[in-house]
Amino acid sequence: MIYDIRHLTLYEYGSTVTFSHCALRLLPIGGPGQTVLSTSLRITPEPAQTIERLCFFGNRLTFLTIETAHRKLIVEVNTSIAIDRGEPLDEAATPAFDEVRRQAFASASLDKESPAHFLHPSRLVPRYEPVTSYARQSFPAGRPVLAGAKELMHRIRDDFKYDTKATVVSTPISEAFEKRRGVCQDFAHIMIAGLRGIGLPAAYISGYIRTIPPPGKKRLEGADAMHAWVSVWCGEAHGWVGLDPTNSMMIGNDHIVLAQGRDYADISPVAGIILGSREQDVDVQVDVVPRV
Amino acid sequence: MSRSATNRAKDEVDAAARVAKLTAGYTPLPGIPDEFIGVDGQPRAHWLRFLDKLMEFSASDMNRRFATADRHIRDTGVSYRAYGDTSERAWPLSHVPLLIEAGEWREIAEGIEQRARLLELVLADIYGEGRLIDSGDLPAAAVTGSPEFLHPLHGVKPPGGKFLHIYAVDIGRGPDGRWWVLGDRSQAPSGAGYALANRLVLARAFPALYRDMNVERLAPFFEAFRLGLTSMAQRSNPRICLLTPGPFNETYFEQAYLARYLGLLLVEGGDLTMRDGKVNVRTIAGLKRADVIWRRIDSDFADPLELNAHSRLGVPGLVDALREGGVVIANALGSGVLEAPAMMSFMPKLCRKLLGEELRLPNIATWWCGQEDARQSVIEDMDELAIAGAYGNPVPGFASSQPLIGASLTAEEKSRLVAALAERGVDYAGQEVVNLSTTPVWHEGRLEPRPFVLRVYAAHTPQGWKIMPGGFCRISGRTDARAVSMGEGVQSADVWVLADKPVEMVSLLPTDETVRIRRIMGTLPSRAADNLFWLGRYLERSEATLRLIRCLASRMIETGAGAANPGSAVSKLSSLLISWHAAPRATASNAMALVAAALHGDEEYGSAVLLVRDARRAASFIRERLSTDTWRLIGDLNRTLTVDMHGALAEAEAYERADAALRIIAAISGLAQENMNRGAGWRIFDAGRRIDRGINTCRFARHFASGEAPADDLDVLLDLVDSQITYRSRYLMGVNLNPVRDMVVLDPFNPRSVAFQIERLDEHLETLPLLSDDGMLETPRRLILQLAAEAATATAASLNNEKILGFEQSLLGLADAVAARYFLQGPHVARADKSSGLA
Repeated sequence: MIYDIRHLTLYEYGSTVTFSHCALRLLPIGGPGQTVLSTSLRITPEPAQTIERLCFFGNRLTFLTIETAHRKLIVEVNTSIAIDRGEPLDEAATPAFDEVRRQAFASASLDKESPAHFLHPSRLVPRYEPVTSYARQSFPAGRPVLAGAKELMHRIRDDFKYDTKATVVSTPISEAFEKRRGVCQDFAHIMIAGLRGIGLPAAYISGYIRTIPPPGKKRLEGADAMHAWVSVWCGEAHGWVGLDPTNSMMIGNDHIVLAQGRDYADISPVAGIILGSREQDVDVQVDVVPRV
Repeated sequence: MSRSATNRAKDEVDAAARVAKLTAGYTPLPGIPDEFIGVDGQPRAHWLRFLDKLMEFSASDMNRRFATADRHIRDTGVSYRAYGDTSERAWPLSHVPLLIEAGEWREIAEGIEQRARLLELVLADIYGEGRLIDSGDLPAAAVTGSPEFLHPLHGVKPPGGKFLHIYAVDIGRGPDGRWWVLGDRSQAPSGAGYALANRLVLARAFPALYRDMNVERLAPFFEAFRLGLTSMAQRSNPRICLLTPGPFNETYFEQAYLARYLGLLLVEGGDLTMRDGKVNVRTIAGLKRADVIWRRIDSDFADPLELNAHSRLGVPGLVDALREGGVVIANALGSGVLEAPAMMSFMPKLCRKLLGEELRLPNIATWWCGQEDARQSVIEDMDELAIAGAYGNPVPGFASSQPLIGASLTAEEKSRLVAALAERGVDYAGQEVVNLSTTPVWHEGRLEPRPFVLRVYAAHTPQGWKIMPGGFCRISGRTDARAVSMGEGVQSADVWVLADKPVEMVSLLPTDETVRIRRIMGTLPSRAADNLFWLGRYLERSEATLRLIRCLASRMIETGAGAANPGSAVSKLSSLLISWHAAPRATASNAMALVAAALHGDEEYGSAVLLVRDARRAASFIRERLSTDTWRLIGDLNRTLTVDMHGALAEAEAYERADAALRIIAAISGLAQENMNRGAGWRIFDAGRRIDRGINTCRFARHFASGEAPADDLDVLLDLVDSQITYRSRYLMGVNLNPVRDMVVLDPFNPRSVAFQIERLDEHLETLPLLSDDGMLETPRRLILQLAAEAATATAASLNNEKILGFEQSLLGLADAVAARYFLQGPHVARADKSSGLA
């Protein structure tokens, strides 16, 4: 499947900004089952300097220096991506979770894929015992790691209510967990906290998901959104496997990866200090269009 | 035998008796080694030598010297802030130093030198090739568990080639008599400045004792450290900055102190900006390159773009500047990863592997529980061990902020811990429990043993690692050795390393040929300029308010207390104080209450005491730029005005207090005029004073020299601007409107006139640096030239309140223009809060 994705971010400031440094993580990466066919990035006003780097976790990081006075910053990304992920992994074939834990503890690698990076608490996923005990129930001794992880994913989907009003970007996982409400970011963080709590490496994936309009309705322009899910490490032999707790499904050809990290803080799409502005307003529009 | 010789002999007998008494009265804690009393139960020779000399002072002389030391600490403002404190605390210094003999010190120094070399190699490997990870010598999960392992820095070679520039080790002496490493400080070790301050205080209180004991000097170490930083830069005359988290940090005093001592530019994150892969300081002369940054902020806060996005302490883009090699950071970002207790467990093995040597100073035996074998042995030996969070964090799953003592855990806690170890052993480290030695403190005329931790510093220099001969010693307030961070009851001690022979006074001054003569000192960061400006303005406001108060008190004394007639001088002075928000309106009918409120009250923001507090706060942000005397005087000023508000204040008392405060302000002005280098800093400070004096004088003139002002009002005005004597000598007739107006507003020879302030402001603005060389006037200068022309061409007869108000508003406009041109703009502004009714 090939997707054409348009991702528009629009900042409006309360006052004129004369100088700004920011970092974007808006250009997608290739990987297993995912090939980037083309990308374009358009920024208004034109930056004085644009530097592109790969961050530690392999994401594309764009540093901008804007020296033109402006009250509006527009970032538009257009991407075409081909997705072909193949058959999902058989959970019974994965090792027991305690064996996976043992392998993760003993990891002898600091490569970007190493489980060691995704084993410990991170900025937005602190240790939280109630989530750990919640997760523990899905992992009786000896259970194959993917079986446990999938059950945890189903439970999150069943026990939590999708509610865009319940949380904001900065809501701690403890609050979302107590409320049993939130959005994809909260569910992903909670699932990651549970898995790490019992010693299993888990990563945060941001990206897009194909939305299918109700029968007879047209797809609404700009109505898609960014999405987030979880990748769980299933041992040296199987590596990383994607699970989407919001939709209770394994990652397939409807999921498009934008960036990966330990949690949202590692991959937040726009980071930057805007000098001279008192208030700012942000608007994001996403279109994910499958080619027919 | 002469009489004095007899006395001396008698003193010696007394001294010997007192040493014997002190020694006999000193009992080490049971089962705990001690610095003073050896394992054989006998006092150690160097301690006896010290006590012999100390006891040569009579008890009263000694107490006087101790008191001098304490006063010195208070006066120079040696202080720290406990976490969460709003105000600083005076530094508690033990009167007895920790003594270490030369031979023993050599072993410590060699051990620390080796450890510094080792840690540098380990850091380079972790952030570089990762061979220790690949070989399994250092488990990846033990590295990534530390929040100080910073992914964006992986693969970034530190500009200058070194990770560690200053490194510290906490050590303690175990029961076997050896010194043990308790912890590594590789991030941004604090305490070296306190060690220096402690030395200064104690050496000054007991100069002869200090000399006779052959104490090693600290200065060469600091000089070597500074040279080490300099050698890292790519330019020959580099700009070296000390990056501070700001005045609310626990150890801000120390940072300001070291910046001044080492001649570094003290900056906050907002002072720095990254452009084109280099870091610049925002100064009043535009952007100036920062070559080397000694950071006292934690790595994670250093760059909101790639590290902690919520940090306001860092520099956006700093990590990328490091990638580009554009700036040297000491220590490298991410160096703190080595502070994790988990790391200690690997050091003996890594030392053998990387250096082919055994650790010269052993570290406390540590087991990282992420490894199966280590976990098993920790579970088996739990009763002999302490269990710590593996990464310097509190033990996960347990409420205590301190490591758990295995032997004192309940059965339930033990089984909980064993389960936690099985699930996430990576989070825990087991550590040997060691009884560390005690050292004597002076307590009510006796010596008493107290546990301590010694922090020793190593600096990287072109000649290799240099170890500070001395250190920062923290002594526990209790006999329990386990918690010795600065907090309630903890004091610090100077550390005397005793050389075998007299220590030469090494001159640190470089030879003539190596020094390039310079007259302009450094660069003035915009934020510092901002605070200097506001210090000047607040001082001037305090002075104007105090002059009003003094004048009011004196009129009340002359006219007798009681209700003031409307229109009288007393009533006018009162109403001016109320409109300046020095006193609440409610006091309008009670002049005595009004005076008390204007002096000491905190109900209105314009009271003298609150203005002085604003001045003190502005000063506290730029402490490294003020002389000790100035800082002391500002403290005195604050104390003079901070008094018990209950209890009535007589007219004469009010007059006295205002007068005393004005004398201190005069002393501050005198210091500024006579002692402050005429650099940009002085000009900005003085410009702040001149602007506010001009504004206040305009206000005085409008209030007391309006068209129909009675003679009494003009008289008050002459008092307020200190011009009585000049006026009387110049004009033999009584006070008249035009001569008074001329003297107060237009006379360029009167240092209190508006015109005089305008001339000084023009001089300052002419001398301050320009941003561009296009020959165009910058806005502040254009404004002052206009104003100067108006003032120079005006005549007393043409003056009226409207014209004077025009001058006043021009000066207010000038203040804004100065701020816009020279000071920091944007969200990083770290200026004093400008709450005042005057501008």
